[in-house]
Amino acid sequence: MNVAHILSSAFLVTWLAASIRLAGPVLLAALGETFSERGGVLNLGIEGTILLGALASFLVSLFTGLTWLALLVAMMVGIVASVFLAWMYVTVKASQVVTGLVFNVLALGIASAVYRRVLGDAALPESIAMFHPIHIPHLSDLPFVGPALFGQTILLYVTLALAVVANFVLFRTHFGLALRASGENPAAADSAGISVDRIRYVGVLISGATAGMAGAYIVLAQVGLFREAVTSGEGFIALAIVIFGRWNPLKAAGAALVFGACDALQLSLQVFGTRIPSQLLLALPYVVTILAISGLFGSKAVQPASLMSPYIKE
Amino acid sequence: MARLFERRLTPADSPLAVAGTTALALIVAMVLTSFLFISYGANPLEAYFALFHEPFATMRGFGYALVRASPLALIALGTIVSWRSGLAYLGFEGCFVLGAAAAAWLALLTEPGATFGPLPPALFLTLAIVVSFIAGGVWAGIVGVVRARLGGSEVLISLMANYVAIFVLQYLVSGPLRAPGSQPETRQLPRATWLPFILPGTRAHAGILLAIAAAVLVWVLLKKMPLGYELIVTGFNQLAARYAGINVARRLVLAAFFAGGLGALAGTVEVLGSQHRLMDGISGGVGFVGIIVALLARLNPVAVIPTAVLYGGMSVGADAMQRRASIPSSITFILESLAVLLVLISDVLRYYRVNPSALWSRGAEAAAEEAPRGTVGGASE
Repeated sequence: MNVAHILSSAFLVTWLAASIRLAGPVLLAALGETFSERGGVLNLGIEGTILLGALASFLVSLFTGLTWLALLVAMMVGIVASVFLAWMYVTVKASQVVTGLVFNVLALGIASAVYRRVLGDAALPESIAMFHPIHIPHLSDLPFVGPALFGQTILLYVTLALAVVANFVLFRTHFGLALRASGENPAAADSAGISVDRIRYVGVLISGATAGMAGAYIVLAQVGLFREAVTSGEGFIALAIVIFGRWNPLKAAGAALVFGACDALQLSLQVFGTRIPSQLLLALPYVVTILAISGLFGSKAVQPASLMSPYIKE
Repeated sequence: MARLFERRLTPADSPLAVAGTTALALIVAMVLTSFLFISYGANPLEAYFALFHEPFATMRGFGYALVRASPLALIALGTIVSWRSGLAYLGFEGCFVLGAAAAAWLALLTEPGATFGPLPPALFLTLAIVVSFIAGGVWAGIVGVVRARLGGSEVLISLMANYVAIFVLQYLVSGPLRAPGSQPETRQLPRATWLPFILPGTRAHAGILLAIAAAVLVWVLLKKMPLGYELIVTGFNQLAARYAGINVARRLVLAAFFAGGLGALAGTVEVLGSQHRLMDGISGGVGFVGIIVALLARLNPVAVIPTAVLYGGMSVGADAMQRRASIPSSITFILESLAVLLVLISDVLRYYRVNPSALWSRGAEAAAEEAPRGTVGGASE
C-alpha cells in the first residue's frame, strides 16, 4: 500500500466512518466518568459496569427483541452497580483504586455466572435485535463526511447530544459548579453548604448509567452477541479518554475520535497487509495519554485536585 | 447511658480486632457465595469441599496450585513494596508481560545455533532473572520518576502503560519472535531453559521457591533494613519523611523499581516454568489478581505465600468443580472479590466498640419504662 492508496477518497471515507463507529461506546462511558472524576471519585469500576450492562442488554434483547428496553435495562443495571460503588467510595471511604479494581473482578465473575445460569448450553439464535444504521436522507449522500457522520446508529447521535448536554451541565449549571467544587476542594464546598457526599454519589451514579449504556451500545450496535472479551478494556480506554480530553466532555469527544481513528487505521492496515506493525498505531493513543498526564506539559493543574481522596468531614 | 454500639474516635487496631473483622468478612463472603452454589443446585458444603479437595488433598492438584501461586505471590510482593511506600502502582500486567517476553527472548537465544548457543542452566536462569528484573524495574521505575519528579498520577499512568506493554508483546509474538504457524506465539523454549520440576508426578516448578525467597527478601527489606524503614515512612507521610531527611523522590523511584522487577519475575516464572512459550494473552489478568492477593494478605509479606497458595488452590479446585459439577469456575472470582470488598467494609466495624453491658442496662431501662405504661394500660381497661 502506498501513500496514494491511503489518500484515496474511498479509503478516507471508510476510515472516518469506522473511526466514529469505534469511538461511540467509549465516548459514552467517558462522559459519565468525567462527572465522577470531576466530583473527586476515580471510578475504575466502569470496566466491570460496562460488562454488566453488555450482559443485561444482550439478555433483554435476546428474550424480548426490544432494543430500547435493552438499553434502558443496561442503564438501570449500571446505576444499581454504581450505587454499591458509590457507597464504597463515599460512605465507607474505602480506597477508590482498590474498590474499583476488585469490583471489576466481581463483575467478571457475576457476568460469567449469570450468563451460564440463564443460557447454559442452550443454542443461541444467529443474531439478536440490534440498532441499525440510519441513513439521514440527503445528508448521508454528502461527499466524505456524509456516510461517516450521517449513516450511523441512533446511539451515536444520542452520545453526541449527551456530550453537548454534559458540557452544559458541567460548566453552566449550579449542579456542575457544585460537582467541580467537590472535586477540587471538598472542604470549601462543604462550608459553602454543598453536601459533598451527596453530590459525589450523583457523579458516580452518572458514570454508572453511561457505563451500562456503553455496554449496551457495544452489544446492540456493534457485535450482537455477548462474550467477556467483547467489552474487555473498554472501561480503561474510557478512562484514558477522560484524561486525554482533560476532564472536559467536548474535548473527550475529540479524544475518543483519536482513539477510534488509530484503532480503525490499524484494522485497515491489517487488511491491506502493510509492514507497519498495527500494534504501533494501537499503542500510540496510550503513549500520548501517558505523556498528557505525566505532568511534563503542566496538565497536573487540570486534574481535579481531590481526585481519589475520600472526603472526611472535620 | 451506655449504648450497645459506641463510635470510637480511632479504629481499634489490635491484632485481635484486625483478625476478627477479617475473619468475619471472609465468613460472610463464603456465606454469600453459598447462595450461588445453591442456585446451581449444589450443596454448599459439598461445593466448598470440592473447591479445596482437589488442590489440597491430591498431589497433582497441589502441584497445579503451586504453579498458579508462584506468579501471584511475586506480583503480590511487588504490590506490597510499592503500595507500602505510598506508590499505588497498578502496572503489574505490563511488568508481567515484559518479564515473560525478556525471559522467552533470552531462552530462544540459547537455542543451538542462535546468538548464545546452549548455556548451563544455572547461568541461564541467573541471567534470565537479572535481565527480567531490570526490564520490569526500569519499566515501572519510569512511572516512579514521573510521579516523584513531575507529579503525574501513578495510578492512571501505570494503568495506561499496561496497554503499551501488551502491544509490545503482541508485536513480538506476531512479528520477530513468531513461530511458523497460525497462532501468534513463539516456538517452544529449549528444554534446558525450563525451570526444574520440584515435586515428582506434578507440574510444580521451582518458581514457588523463587517466590518464597522473594517473600523472605521483601520481609527483610521492610522489617530489618533502614532502607525499608525509610520506604514505609515515605508511605505513611511524605512530609514527615522529608523532614526526617529522607530523599522521598529517590525512595519512590526505588520502590517502583523493586515492584516492577518483582512483577517481571512473575512473568519469567510463568513462561519458563509453566507455559514454556511466549504467546499473546499470557497474562490473563494475573497482574490484577496478584494485587488482590496482596490485599487479602493485608500487605504483609509473611502472609503472601499462604494466601497465594490458597488462591491458586481455589482456582484449581474451581476448574475441577466446573468439569465435574458444571458450576462455573468464575465463582472463585466472586468469592475472592467479595472477600476483599467485605474486608474493606469490615474496617468500618473497627470504629465501633461493643458494650455487652448495654444489653443489661437497656433491658433494665426498658423494664423500668414498661412498668408504669403497663399499669396505665391496666388501669384504662
